[in-house]
Amino acid sequence: MGTHLWELLILPLTEQAFQKALIGGSLVAIVCGVIGCFVILRRMAFLGDALAHAMLAGVTGGYLFMQILFGSEAHAPAMLLGSIIAGLVTVGLIGFVSRVSRIKDDTAIGIMYTAIFAVGGVLASLFSHRIHIDLYHFVTGMVLGVEDHDLWMMAGVAVVVLAVVILLFRHLQITTFDPVMAASLGIPVVALNYLLTICTSLVVVSAVSIVGVILVVGLLVTPAATAYLLCDRLSRMICLSSLFGVTSVLGGLYLSTWIGNVATGPSIVIVSSLQFLVVLGLAPRYGLLADQLRRRGRVPQPLLEDILGCFRHETGAVLDVGTIGQRVGAGGDQVQRGLRVLERQDLAKVAGQRVTLTAEGQREALRLLRAHRLWEAYLKQVGTPVDQLHARAHQLEHIHDEQTVDYLDDQLGHPLRDPHGSVIPEDFEHLVPGAEVKASLLREGHRGTIVALGETLRDTPLRVGQVIRVGPRRKEGRQWTFWLPDGSEVVLDHAASDAMTVKLPADLPAGGSSSAQAT
Amino acid sequence: MAQRIPPPAGPPPAVEVEHLTVSYGPVPALLDVSFQIPPGQLVGVIGPNGSGKSTLIKAILGFRRPDLGSVRLFGEPAERARGRVAYVPQRGSVDWDFPITVREVALMGRYGHVPWWRDLGSDDRRLADEALEMVRMSELRDRQIGQLSGGQQQRVFMARAMAQGADILLLDEPLAGVDAATERAILDVLERTRASGRTLLVVHHDLATAAEYFDTLILLKQRMYAIGPPASVLHPQLLSEVYEGKLRVFADMRTRADKGGG
Repeated sequence: MGTHLWELLILPLTEQAFQKALIGGSLVAIVCGVIGCFVILRRMAFLGDALAHAMLAGVTGGYLFMQILFGSEAHAPAMLLGSIIAGLVTVGLIGFVSRVSRIKDDTAIGIMYTAIFAVGGVLASLFSHRIHIDLYHFVTGMVLGVEDHDLWMMAGVAVVVLAVVILLFRHLQITTFDPVMAASLGIPVVALNYLLTICTSLVVVSAVSIVGVILVVGLLVTPAATAYLLCDRLSRMICLSSLFGVTSVLGGLYLSTWIGNVATGPSIVIVSSLQFLVVLGLAPRYGLLADQLRRRGRVPQPLLEDILGCFRHETGAVLDVGTIGQRVGAGGDQVQRGLRVLERQDLAKVAGQRVTLTAEGQREALRLLRAHRLWEAYLKQVGTPVDQLHARAHQLEHIHDEQTVDYLDDQLGHPLRDPHGSVIPEDFEHLVPGAEVKASLLREGHRGTIVALGETLRDTPLRVGQVIRVGPRRKEGRQWTFWLPDGSEVVLDHAASDAMTVKLPADLPAGGSSSAQAT
Repeated sequence: MAQRIPPPAGPPPAVEVEHLTVSYGPVPALLDVSFQIPPGQLVGVIGPNGSGKSTLIKAILGFRRPDLGSVRLFGEPAERARGRVAYVPQRGSVDWDFPITVREVALMGRYGHVPWWRDLGSDDRRLADEALEMVRMSELRDRQIGQLSGGQQQRVFMARAMAQGADILLLDEPLAGVDAATERAILDVLERTRASGRTLLVVHHDLATAAEYFDTLILLKQRMYAIGPPASVLHPQLLSEVYEGKLRVFADMRTRADKGGG
């Protein structure tokens, strides 16, 4: 067992090619992780791909330039510079096309990078007799063939990119998050965008020798996306993303050594993709499993309302959990969870099996009851068959925001009873001590001071400042009666009652029908 | 004897726009707009879609070079008063999934005060925390911004503007698409900000509520149609001219304006 592990893990480390690959790969993975964060937050993934492809033209261009003019073979700095120039030209052309025409960004990227890539391909085949490097490696990468000058280039890129990101972290963060604010602070947003593009080109160039042109985006984007699912801060995301990059390279290198004869680039990208999939499934906040668990833990609002609804006939009642379960027709598990939520919201109290409502919970139950009965009255009015009234109203009572209920109440002429003859609780949202309300909301027994009268009430004995008492409704609730201080009676219809505003006393006595007992 | 003219008394206006004309192509977005806003006011900018409200904001921020005219902030040209204006973006233009916490957003307000080679200091952290305190967001400071409600999100950006130390706040539609409770919460913060002596310029879309919320209204449609207290700006005749009869809330508004005026 011990020797086996030794062979698997340590032995490869003693090979020089593996060591170089590991060092180079880690350098590349770190900068890829760092820049990748900005790339995904700026939605530039496709642009990264474009830069990688444009590199082919840059490399061949740089190679030929030095070879033809100075006769030097495979001049690395020239090829590097060529790649960066090709990258910038591509970005410039993309920006130009999307600015001057109706072509959108993604299409412009597609057009331009394939064009530049094709130019590179044509150059490479035209001058194939002059180019003595294997361009195939640019396409697939060849990490185990990393040489010393590659390592130096990678280290140089890493130093430059890390220095830029560390020194300008705040600037890069704010131009990515809120370019408008950045500009308003006088930060050179356009220059920073170009700087970031140059860094991306550098990173892509150094990553191509590890995983190749085609897979470079995988190393740039996947570790960053993995970190994105785990972090709520950019600084942490960058660190984690670099870490995931390094583990991908490490895993990929071992994988290709163990299996043998497997290209390293693809195995690195496979490891980083697997990492991503695992995190996508298991991430504590943004993962699929967490999402599923949250969804299961969530108690549907209608269930909560149904539980409150059990108390509608007597809001102060003590019910046991089993009864509630029967009435709402839900599993005991669901009911328990619902009760816990109600307890957390301070609407119900659960002691063992006994459930009572708090004052707030009773109010909520009354509100639902009012919504239910107003909906029933409304349904009756619009011609719903009587035997369906209750069931339909039971569905509709879940629409119970204040405005809806007020609208129904007003449309129906502030009815006192629902179609079954049960009392509709009064409008306790508005009928609070000291409030000024339309007189139409009042019920028998209420008292209040008139504070405003509409034009239409000018010819009545009503006067502002009078204290009035509300008498019973007449004509099936369509006539309001008010008693003046001298004992005389005024009868008003709905519209006329609406035209009178009454201030309720600070010690509001219960209206004649405010108790919501079913009859 | 020639009487010497005394220098103008009192502080210069917070925002002073003179003969501002800004164009995109042949049609001007703003034409000959002039107004002054004294410090410490809550001003609403109203006008139909495409009336140049956003352009006005951009011009005050100094993003749009005017074809003609000038913007002065506290008596100084807008370019030179950059740090004194803060912009609160429209909710829709923010990436709410961005890995950033409430406190980090507030700290952004300090970025303009710290040179790039230095770290943020303890003073900056304190100012950011105070700003969060002021909008009552201290408790949620370690939340990622996507996990806040609409009103809380708006408040974070208000805190950022205040941490910036700006005296003028430009807000682009802060009340668009929020529910009534959120609207009240945001208005509360706007009021408190105004009470602290700052000047707020708010792009607003809802004419029905404009009279309640603002001290001063600017009615804009390319040209300045009116500036002044809501009762005078929300004049039905003026509105029908600007909105070309596309408005159905006239009657409602007239009663509100009357109430406000009487």
